Amino acid sequence: MLSVGLHIALVVVALVGWSWTKPLDEPKPRTIAARLIAPQPEPSPQMEPVQQPDPQEEQRRLEEQRKAEARRQAEEQRKAEEAQAREQARKREQERQVALEKERKAKEAEAARQKADAEARERARQQAEAEKQRKEEAARKAAEEKRRQQELERQRQEQEEQARQAAEEKRKEAERRLREQQLEALAEQASKAQEAEAQRQAAAAAAKARESQMMSESEKYQALIRERLSQAWYPPSSATEDMTARLQITLLPTGELASVKLVSSSGNTAFDNSAVSAVRSLSRYPIPDSRDTFERYFRQFTIEFNPRRLR
Amino acid sequence: MSNRINTHRFRALKSGLWSLVLALLVSAGPASAELLIRITEGADAAIPLSVVPFAESGAMPAGDNVSTIIRDDLAMSGEFRPLPPEKMLSLPSKGDEVFFRDWRMLGQRYVLVGQMQREGDRVSARYELFDVNRESRLLGETASAPVSNIRTLAHHISDKVYEAITGVPGAFSTRLAYVTLQNVNGKPLYKLQVSDVDGKRARIRLDSREPILSPAWSPDGKQLAYVSFESSKPAIYLHELSSGKRTRIAEFKGLNSAPAWSPDGRSLLLTLSKDGNAEIYKMDIASRSLKRLTNHWSIDTEATWDHRGRGIFFTSDRSGGPQVYYMESEGAEPRRITFGSRYNARPRPSADGKYVYYVHQREGAFHIARTNLETGEETVLTRTKLDESPSVSPNGRMLIYATQQNGQSVLTVISADGGANYTLPASEGDVRDPAWSPISR
Repeated sequence: MLSVGLHIALVVVALVGWSWTKPLDEPKPRTIAARLIAPQPEPSPQMEPVQQPDPQEEQRRLEEQRKAEARRQAEEQRKAEEAQAREQARKREQERQVALEKERKAKEAEAARQKADAEARERARQQAEAEKQRKEEAARKAAEEKRRQQELERQRQEQEEQARQAAEEKRKEAERRLREQQLEALAEQASKAQEAEAQRQAAAAAAKARESQMMSESEKYQALIRERLSQAWYPPSSATEDMTARLQITLLPTGELASVKLVSSSGNTAFDNSAVSAVRSLSRYPIPDSRDTFERYFRQFTIEFNPRRLR
Repeated sequence: MSNRINTHRFRALKSGLWSLVLALLVSAGPASAELLIRITEGADAAIPLSVVPFAESGAMPAGDNVSTIIRDDLAMSGEFRPLPPEKMLSLPSKGDEVFFRDWRMLGQRYVLVGQMQREGDRVSARYELFDVNRESRLLGETASAPVSNIRTLAHHISDKVYEAITGVPGAFSTRLAYVTLQNVNGKPLYKLQVSDVDGKRARIRLDSREPILSPAWSPDGKQLAYVSFESSKPAIYLHELSSGKRTRIAEFKGLNSAPAWSPDGRSLLLTLSKDGNAEIYKMDIASRSLKRLTNHWSIDTEATWDHRGRGIFFTSDRSGGPQVYYMESEGAEPRRITFGSRYNARPRPSADGKYVYYVHQREGAFHIARTNLETGEETVLTRTKLDESPSVSPNGRMLIYATQQNGQSVLTVISADGGANYTLPASEGDVRDPAWSPISR
């Protein structure tokens, strides 16, 4: 009803406003209070432009009066209604306040109850929580203990492992040391052997060089001796090319003949004698100055007499 | 690491092996090969030897000094170089007077000392031969001979000395037979003579106005065979020296020449042309039977037995000029020996059968040459230019031949290898056809 009235009022306002050609600004928010009172939000008025045909001026003035009248009546009614409404509202407010009080008390009770309840629940919860925590703690502790034990075990194992590894390492190290020592010993041995070998080779090379020097020196003196003996040897007429006499001679370091021995006879006395005679005819043998070469080659040697070409 | 070690060890092992080998070589050297010096040639010279003048007690025949004869003998051989007595530092006559040092200083190899002793009509020699270098006595003997044969005694000592030193019997006691030619009253006079090897004590065995050729000694040295034209034609005679008994054993028609004794003395090789051409025959002396050994249209002559008395050397011109041939046995197919020139004749074998000596013509000159029968190698032994009639000494060490000297024929002795030569003292006239006697046993 109210709304219908409002609607109508709005339509009237609208119409009036429109009649002043210039559209009216938004209606004054008179109903705001009412709207504020009303807890229910009013739906926003839908402004729908109403197309009204342009009536006649008189009618429009009559209509205007009527409408003003109506608007005054309506205003009165509205004021009455508003007073009524305000009363109702006060009553309702009272009621509402009582109800609110009731509700507040109930709410308080409820709140108290709920609080107690909550507190109990909280306590229970806390107890449970504590219990849970305790249990959890216990479990945690047990787990912790277990973990610790495991950790200990692990550590122990680790230590053992470490110890084992250390022992292994130590053993390996010892082995390595031993092996290295052996290798070192071998290397040292080899190097010593090599060194000794090098020395031996150097000595051998020196000996060889000495030997070859002695040899060449020896060859020189062999040639001299050969020449001297060839000049001193008179093969007898009975000599033949197949006769060979071998004499072993020993010299003194002065080159003088110490002894001569017929070690292999030609089978012909004259031939043998001629050889011995030749060997003995040299008052002094050409010998090297080097005592080593002398000792090595000329202290004692063999002379073979074997004519290749007889006259 | 271990690899390196192994390498080291391997190297050490390797070098160890090396040095072991080296050590073996080095140590094996002196152990297995003591220095050996080979002497393959002797001195190209005669042996220095001293024949110290022998001490003499009692009267000795004048002119014949034993030590001088020995010295000459040994010198003649070409193998010795006797020291002249004036160069000797001392004149020992027995062993305990010999100071080897003195002789060594003089470069002497041998010293012969001796003492002569006259005992009635004999003379004895006590002699000792020393080897100076070996300081040992090679000989110590006493020999004696009639005073008239003091040269025989000297030659005997020469033989002993020669043999003691050379190992070969001496040939100084042998003799030479040769033919001399003189012009006496415008006519030629041929003499067959026999002398010592030094040409001394020559004795005329035969003389003739007709040629005497080719004397040949019997193996026992008691007879000579030769060609004589004394009957106006050539005939072959045997001549017993001790008795002078002569036998004409061949007087065939034509040529009768070049007699040669068989080693057993029972037969002769002769060149006869009784069958129309000069051929070689063998005559048995006892039966005078002949065996013809050659049969060729060319001349075959100058046959001689080889040293074994089986094969025969001879001269033949079957190849166009005279060459030396050899038949392995009597009547065998002859084999030519000489090829060196167009003229090689008058073969004479060496005592050991190793060589054959012959007259060899080269570039218009006649030399004595020899061919080694093993190798075929020919050696010209003489430098003289008209050499002929080589004859080898019985010990094979000397060779005598006739040659020209100052327009006269002389005899020259050379050593068998062509060494030193010795010309026999000139006798009256030309000397030809020397024949060296065997060693008298």
